[in-house]
Amino acid sequence: MFNGVRRSAIAGLGDGANKDGVGSVGVKEERRLMAISLRESVQRVSDPGNLDASVEEVFGLMLGVMCRRHQAPVALEKESVTAVVGFGGLLSGACVFRSGAKAAMDIAAKMTGMEFTYIDDTVKDGIGEICNMLAGAWKGKVPELAANVGLSVPAVITGRDYNLHVQAPEFQIHHFYRFGEDVFEVTIVCDGIQ
Amino acid sequence: MGMNEIRALIVDDSSVMRKIVERALRQAGLDPLVVHEAANGNEGLEVLKAKTVDLILSDINMPAMDGLEFLRQIRAQNLASGVPVVMITTESSEEHVKEAIQAGARGYIRKPFTAEQVKDRVLPLVHAG
Repeated sequence: MFNGVRRSAIAGLGDGANKDGVGSVGVKEERRLMAISLRESVQRVSDPGNLDASVEEVFGLMLGVMCRRHQAPVALEKESVTAVVGFGGLLSGACVFRSGAKAAMDIAAKMTGMEFTYIDDTVKDGIGEICNMLAGAWKGKVPELAANVGLSVPAVITGRDYNLHVQAPEFQIHHFYRFGEDVFEVTIVCDGIQ
Repeated sequence: MGMNEIRALIVDDSSVMRKIVERALRQAGLDPLVVHEAANGNEGLEVLKAKTVDLILSDINMPAMDGLEFLRQIRAQNLASGVPVVMITTESSEEHVKEAIQAGARGYIRKPFTAEQVKDRVLPLVHAG
């Protein structure tokens, strides 16, 4: 009935867990323990395999393409599209998707069935949504993240010759991927974990 | 309204995602299909005040009014009574699902999704109505 979500999510309905009283005390304690374990689970949270799995899932299901890890290109395209989705809650940081203009248009074309000759609002919207799904898929790989970290709406930046820099991250995962002739990069950066 | 026409409201701040959901509904066999779109919960409520729909699909994370508040307002304002609401969202935690159910959702689809998953979740709700 609810794809991609554990059935126990609805099994607990009616047990009063969301009402004031005995149930809510148990939920608060559970969240406190979850918060402790999130800090102690940095290694699990920062597992680079989770990002690879998320990319495979999003591109496989939504675009019907297989993505593989790729080495960093010798030179980045001058014109690029970058989408950012923020994480907030027990983990703060961002998911950043970046690609050259051609890859962005190819991605948007596969999502919409349309053709693009320049980076218009639909392309930007599509890239923002890809980043949104990557962020959601990544945080869903760790139950503590799924329950205790929220997502911002995507922000999309386009232009030439710019770089993003995050000061002193708690951890950072930065991979390049390829499908067909298109290459893109995804970065998960965490600047705080409670 | 044509015979057996399904009127769907798709609420998502991404116009691309609204088109993807519409395509999935058509691939699921909902035909003829009339689609109304809204970019957030506020716009969704305005559509529901003006139009009759048979199905609502809504994202959760949206600016202005998110999907859960949209659900609560549908009930509070007595709009679209009996119309099934399916959440289509990146949020997959048990807490989010519980909250959506308590707010009135009858289905939950996690992004990314396949057209087959949309068909499996939506068709039983539409036919039951």
